Amino acid sequence: MAEKPQAVRVLYCGVCGLPAEYCEFGPDFENCKPWLRCHAPDLYPDLLNEENRADADEATQKLQAVAISGSGDGRGDASAAASGSASAPKQEEVKRLPGGKIKKKEKQEVVIEKIVRNKRKCVTVVKGLDLFGIKLSDASKKLGKKFATGASVVKGPTEKEQIDVQGDIAYDIVEFITDTWPDVPATAIFFVEDGRKVAAA
Amino acid sequence: MFKKFSFEDISAQNQVKASVQRKIRQSIADEYPGFEPLLDDILPKKAPLIVAKCQNHLNLVLVNSVPLFFNIRDGPYMPTLRLLHQYPDIMKKFQVDRGAIKFVLSGANIMCPGLTSPGGALDEEVLEETPVAIMAEGKQHALAIGYTKLSAKDIKTINKGIAVDNMHYLNDGLWKIERLE
Repeated sequence: MAEKPQAVRVLYCGVCGLPAEYCEFGPDFENCKPWLRCHAPDLYPDLLNEENRADADEATQKLQAVAISGSGDGRGDASAAASGSASAPKQEEVKRLPGGKIKKKEKQEVVIEKIVRNKRKCVTVVKGLDLFGIKLSDASKKLGKKFATGASVVKGPTEKEQIDVQGDIAYDIVEFITDTWPDVPATAIFFVEDGRKVAAA
Repeated sequence: MFKKFSFEDISAQNQVKASVQRKIRQSIADEYPGFEPLLDDILPKKAPLIVAKCQNHLNLVLVNSVPLFFNIRDGPYMPTLRLLHQYPDIMKKFQVDRGAIKFVLSGANIMCPGLTSPGGALDEEVLEETPVAIMAEGKQHALAIGYTKLSAKDIKTINKGIAVDNMHYLNDGLWKIERLE
């Protein structure tokens, strides 16, 4: 056994993240199908047949639509509108994260949290300023200067960067944020109290 | 076990001492003899080894913030499925029939009949309480990692009830965490 076994490269589905051959047992096989057709056509021979059939169906539908629009303009428009609305939700469905979770658009909000350490000392954590296009390093400098404490950009959990400010400044940070960055509305600022989000304004 | 698992379940992450690192390495090498030549590639001596402690006495071994192994209490280290897919031959394999795939992928334990039926297969020399890879009929890659409750012989003779505990399966919480932090 002098030779090392080589690492196997596994084809993972681009939609659900499972190995392609397990897509059929995945959270939504239907959404994986288009991806599988172009990336792993040999795994699911049935799919190709299905596609051909679908194409044929579509073609006949189009033919019918043309026939209808030829007979009356009003009806043709209606069918076009219907097909448009049918395609719109489909697009939204594609925007799912691997694993079937629906991808949330990141909400633009600033979350302020007070973490107590050593009983009478605390740190105020400001998350989400970067979502407003604010440079975190600048922001931390400004915060530090205003409150005369240490303020640093820290990598929080899950790759997000946040600003840690020493001391309890939760009482007037809201005003400061809205004054310094007019882009940030007071309604988008939240406090975390007992693990629950509370609107600041 | 990993049915629900997310970043919040990790209570502490530490870079471990060199001696602990050696111990982990040793126990992995003992558990998976075929793995030894690869060990330096997968757990490079230079890279810091991080152990993440989670709830229920669960530990994850991370290298470059990619989870590679996990164990429970002082149990054996088991590779994550992503690692196992790369090196499929390091573990003993059990194969389940096609009907079982659906249930295994939703986290069910592997029952004896699924392994002994025509679609299933067993590595003969597996004893109880060893980690095994769960393959599936007609599929190339492993779909779960389990911990045997019965030896292969007993599975064949008893042919009833739970044969393998399902530890980690495709699309569970750990699978979804490709990188930590």
